[in-house]
Order: sequence, then C-alpha cells, then structure tokens
Amino acid sequence: MTMQECYRAIGADYDDVLGRLRSERLIQKFVLKFLDDGSFDLLCASMDSGDLDTAFRASHTIKGVCSNLGFTRLGKSSHDLTEALRARNAEEAAGLLGQVKADYEATVSAIRTYKAEAGL
Amino acid sequence: MLKGKILIVDDSEMNRSILADMLEEEYEILEAVDGEQAVTVLEEHSADIALVLLDIVMPKMDGFGVLAVMERNGWIEDLPVIMISSESGSAQVARAYDMGVTDFISRPFDALVVRRRVVNTLLLYAKQKRLMAMVEEQIRETERQSSLMVEILSHIVEFRNGESGQHILHVRTLTDHLLRAVMRRTDRYELTSDDVTRISVGSALHDIGKIVIDAKILNKPGKLTDEEFAVMKTHAMKGAEMLDALVEHRDDPLVRAAYEICRWHHERYDGRGYPDGLKGDDIPISAQVVALADVYDALTSPRVYKAPIPHEEAVEMIMEGKCGAFNPLLLECLAENADSIRQDIVTDSDRTVARESQNIVKDSVRPAPGDAVASERTLRLMDFERMKHSFFSAMTKELQFEYTVAPPKLSLSPWAAEVLGLEEIISNPGQNKRIRTILGEDGWSRFSWEARQTTPESPSASFDYQLTYNGQTRWHQIVLRTIWTATTPQRFAGALGKAIDNHDAHERMISLEKKAARDAMTGLLNQASARERIRRRLEERPEGRYAMGVFDLDLFKSANDSRGHQFGDRVLKTVAERLTHSVRSSDIISRTGGDEFMLFLEYNTDLERTIDRIFNSLCGDYEGYDISVTMGVARSETAGPSYEDMFREADSALYAAKRAGKRRYCFYDCSMRDVLRAETDVDERNGRN
Repeated sequence: MTMQECYRAIGADYDDVLGRLRSERLIQKFVLKFLDDGSFDLLCASMDSGDLDTAFRASHTIKGVCSNLGFTRLGKSSHDLTEALRARNAEEAAGLLGQVKADYEATVSAIRTYKAEAGL
Repeated sequence: MLKGKILIVDDSEMNRSILADMLEEEYEILEAVDGEQAVTVLEEHSADIALVLLDIVMPKMDGFGVLAVMERNGWIEDLPVIMISSESGSAQVARAYDMGVTDFISRPFDALVVRRRVVNTLLLYAKQKRLMAMVEEQIRETERQSSLMVEILSHIVEFRNGESGQHILHVRTLTDHLLRAVMRRTDRYELTSDDVTRISVGSALHDIGKIVIDAKILNKPGKLTDEEFAVMKTHAMKGAEMLDALVEHRDDPLVRAAYEICRWHHERYDGRGYPDGLKGDDIPISAQVVALADVYDALTSPRVYKAPIPHEEAVEMIMEGKCGAFNPLLLECLAENADSIRQDIVTDSDRTVARESQNIVKDSVRPAPGDAVASERTLRLMDFERMKHSFFSAMTKELQFEYTVAPPKLSLSPWAAEVLGLEEIISNPGQNKRIRTILGEDGWSRFSWEARQTTPESPSASFDYQLTYNGQTRWHQIVLRTIWTATTPQRFAGALGKAIDNHDAHERMISLEKKAARDAMTGLLNQASARERIRRRLEERPEGRYAMGVFDLDLFKSANDSRGHQFGDRVLKTVAERLTHSVRSSDIISRTGGDEFMLFLEYNTDLERTIDRIFNSLCGDYEGYDISVTMGVARSETAGPSYEDMFREADSALYAAKRAGKRRYCFYDCSMRDVLRAETDVDERNGRN
C-alpha cells in the first residue's frame, strides 16, 4: 500500500496535502505521528465524563490536525462535533461522536496497514 | 549569523511539529503547549524572540489570554504575533487584530504561505524599529537642547542665590516623583505623562523671579525684616510676569506650566500663602506639587541661615503643618514614597538632563494603545528631520551612512549617494564592487575591524581613511557609532557614521610630522626618527643583510674657527647633499648631531665597494676647504639585527679608524671590542671622559 492508496482508503485528499507540505517524507512523518496523537482518547474520555469544555478542545484539535493532513472525511465529522460542542449541545454531540469514532478507526487502521506493509 | 527565534504556541504537538518543520531551517524554534507556558517562555525570552505563532483554542489559557498578557507587559509593541487558527469567524479575527495581532495563518498550513508570512512580518517589524529609533534620536536631541536651556537659565538664578544648583535638580526630581505618585492614586487632575514631564521641566524655573530681588535681601544670612520679606515675596509674581511677557511663547504648554509654578508655588492649601491667597484645588496641581518639593528640599538642604534637617524630621515637620498647609493627597504621596524619594535625591547629583529628556522622548514616541505605530505626527516629524538632515549634510560636506547587519544594508544620505555615485540604499554592501573601489580592497574588513573594537558602553570609533571617488583618492576622517541590540547579551546590529574630507589637514599634518622627524638645517632625518625607522626595518625583515655606517668630519672645528660658523653650516649641508646623492632612496640617512652622520642600508653583494664609493663621494673640496670624514661600519651579520648592537659596533669601528689616522673607513671586527675596552679604561683612568 502506498501513501496515496492509504489516503484514498480513508477518504483523504493526498494531492491537497502534497501541495501544501511539499514533501512526501514530511507527509509520511506526520501521518505516522497521527497514531500517537492523544486527542482522540481525550475526546472519548471527556465525552464519557460529560466534560464538554475538554471535549470541545480535543475535538477542535482533531479537526485542526485533519485539516493539516488533508484527512477530509474525519475532518468533516470532527468539524460537526466541534460545532455541536461549541454550542454546548451535549445531546447532538453524543450523536455525532459515533461518526467521529467510525472515521477515526478507519483512518487509524489504514495507517497501521500502511505502516506494517512499509515495514516501519 | 544567529538564527531568529520563533515561539510556536499550540496545544497540538502535531501542529507545532508541522510548523516547526516548515521553519526550522531558517529559525530557531521554541515551543509552548498552552497559553500559560507561552507566557512563561515570553517572560524568560521576550527580548530575543522575533515572532510568535499563536493558536487560539488552547487549555489553561487561550490565545486571547496570551495577547492580553502581552499587551499588559508592553511586549505586543515590539513582538509581532501571527495567529494560527481554523477559527475564521470574523468576530474572532477582528478581536485578534484589535489586540495587536499582525497577521493570520489559517489551517491547513501551506509551507510557502507560512514561510512568506513569517518573513514579511519580521521585515515589517525590523523596518518599523529602525524608523522609530531614528525619530527617537532626533527628538531626543531637540528635547535635550531645550531642557538644557531651561537648566542653564535656572542655574543662573541659583548662582545668584549663592546656592549650588542642586536645589533645582532636587525640586525637579521630587516634582516628578510626587506627580507620578498622584497619577497612580487618582485621575482627579487628569494628568498625562506629558504633563508630568512638562511640570517637572518647568519646576526648574520656579524661582526665576528672584533675579529681580536685591542681592542684599536674597543673600542675607539673618532673619528678614517685614519690609525685606515683603520684597522677597514679590519674586513669585515677578517670575510669572517675566514668563507672561514672552508674547510669542506664552501659550506654549511648557511656559503655561512654568507660569503657574512661578506664580503660585508659595500658595498654601488653606489659603494662607501668597501672592493670591488661593485655596485648595484653586491652586493648580503643578504649583501645589512644586510648593511641597520646594519646602522639602529647603528643609533638607543647608542654607546660609540654617543647617540641613534630616529627611525623617523634615517629613514630620511638613506633616505637622509647620511649613504651611498642603493638599492631604500630596502629603500621603510624600509619606508613602519617602524612602524612594530620599534615595533619588541622594543619587540625584549624578543625574543629567539626558535622563529627563529620555522620558520626554519615551512619552512622545510611544504610541497610545490602538494607534497606528507610526502616527501621522511621527511621519511628519520624520519627513522634516530627513529634510533637515540632508540639508545639513550637504552643507557640511559630510558623507553620512547607516549600516544594518540584518539584513545587510547600507543607507547613504542623499548627498553622499550623489557624490559617491551610489544608490541611497545598497544591499549586501560588503560584496558591492563600486564600494570596493571606493574603500580599496581591504577597506570593508578595516571598517568591520574598527566596528568590532567598539562596545555597547563605548560605541564610538574614529579613524583616518583614504576614500577614492571622482577620480581622486583623498583622506577622510571616519566617525562611527555602532548600534547594539536591546537583547542580553547585546549583539552588534549596525552602525551610523560619517566621513569628512580632511585631506588638506591630513597633508599638513604629514608635512609637519616630516618636519618634526627631520633636522632643520640639512633636511636629513634626526637621530630619533632614524633610529625608529631602522628598528622598524630590522623588525620587518630581520633576516636581511644590513650595514650601518657612522661618520664625522675630520677637523670640522678648524673650519668653523677659520672661516666662521656660517661656512661650517654650509659644509654640513654639502655633506648631507653628497650623502643623499650617493645612497638609494630606500636607504636611511641621518644627521645624528653636530658633525656626526649615520647611514643604514641593505646590501646583497659587495658591501665594501658600496662603502668605498660613498666614502669617496663624501670627501673632497668644497670652496677651497677639503672635506674629509672618518667612518666606522657595522654589519647585521656580525652584530645581529639590533639597532643598539649595530650602532655600538659601528661606533667602535669609527673609534678604531680614528686611531688609525682619520680620513678612512673601517669595518668592525671582533678584535675591536677589546681594543675599545682597553682604550676606554686608559681614558677613564686618565680622567679624560
């Protein structure tokens, strides 16, 4: 699996990110780094405990990172969640969390496959 | 060159990392994970951070919180902030701009855009800083001068009062102190920082009315009579009248302040002062403060009629109303700041006008929050100063220049640019061909060297240097003042300077030096300068083969005796001429005294033939007088490359030649040492030396 295929698998825009970061090496570095980002765990934990402020910031961070990496699909769902949390609409947020989780899992699993195949 | 530091503040490590990757080649990156950490980093490094990239949404303290702290600490004026965010709501953007943000970068980051924005922002700030510094320098000079005039004027009064001049300094310091304390406590008096400065400067004039008071009353050691006191009291009104008579200037804010101070600095809060018996806040705050400062300093200073009273006691006396009633608020300010006031008065003596004018400058240049940094007034001032500057620089024929290290750039005054045939602004001047022609091959490194010899404490350098332009090479005096960064440690940031054509003076100086180095009668070098040159020659190339000859005229005394001293002088001149013509211009020849001469030359082949030729050209008839010399010659090969050793050996050889019968030359050899010593011993024993 190439990085380009990996991007296609997770509904992300490879051309966009290459245009901005201008280096395949950098893209690979940051995509792999995405696996270590703690924001998603923080988001889940704070949603569980009803800490909407923290959840907002975590979701906001995920959205920002996705935007930088060109992860269009996860970017969209985390954007919706961020807006719900900004409005402090707990009910709507809880509903949107499911989509974020699904997109996140899909993204992470594709990156893991890429990583394993690349022998990294 | 040191990399500029950029602080990246973002709670997402990923985002920081992406930005750092884009910028770390050209900049040193500092990172902070939230607003609080950003503030901590800024507190430590605010002086050497060049730029902040700031996220908005962060835990603990968000981006707006950081901006608020930067505003409070005055950092935002010098330190550009670029906001990074996907928050593109226009309310957010407007708020950020209001708080002093320079630019926005939105996610997703584009490497080119990020780099370009960073560079643009840094350039903009650097330029602004330079302009500010220029204006500040100009204003400082103007203010310093007017402040100086006030100081001179008030010292005249002090002098006539038989006081040291310390009193006005003290009153001024106290006034400044008290007013600032008042400002901190209340806005009742609507004082601005400009007012405080004006009142402090004006306070120096509080007693100018005393200039018209009879010196007998003014300096009377004992208690004044009622009549005398009545005369004394008129000084307040007289001073005010003098200022009011300045028709053209009486509406000037400084003159207004001085007027109030002169007229009412003897009024008291309860209405029992003079001349008008004003009461409470009918007395302008300027006069109230100066009155208190005046009383305090009068108590604590020695006077013809009393000894100084200690600080604590003086404050107590004032508090108890022994010197009349004062505004309770001012008394509080005095009591509260008693310690720092005493401190300041003690160190006051060293203070100069410069400090004060710096305050003026700071206050007038610092933009009010929300104002554009270079206000219209600043720009107008700058335009005027530039015009003034170019006018004067053309008048004085000074080539003025300004150099900055980052970016490497040379700016010339319009006149200098025209004369030198250069652009007014030159990037990378070190590589500029035309500049190389003007300065010469090594010129740039010479200037760098001179600049490196300066320090922030002693930033000036002055040296003479030859510049080539308009087809001429002429001497110039170069005066430099280096500029240093405000960081710790301070770094070299550039230099201001001027070059003044001093070619003619330089030439005169060189010819004077030549004269000083030469014997007036023969035009040959005197002994001291010959010695100097020989030493230098030996040091430069000690491995060379050198010869030194010393000779004197045989029986010269008889020429003087039989044909007169004027003839003797002509003989000496003739010998000097013959000597000059028989050696090369690179050889060193000297009249070392009386009828003694010296020559010093470098040789390759047959020294003996050379010496023989010189010897023969020296001897021979002059107007019927037979010039005859005896010479001793030493070689560096035997003596070593030392002036003293060569001279001693040449002298020994001369002695040996004389013993052998004059009109000859003789080379030094080792046996002479002992001969000489034996002879000297005999001479000494016979008491002949």
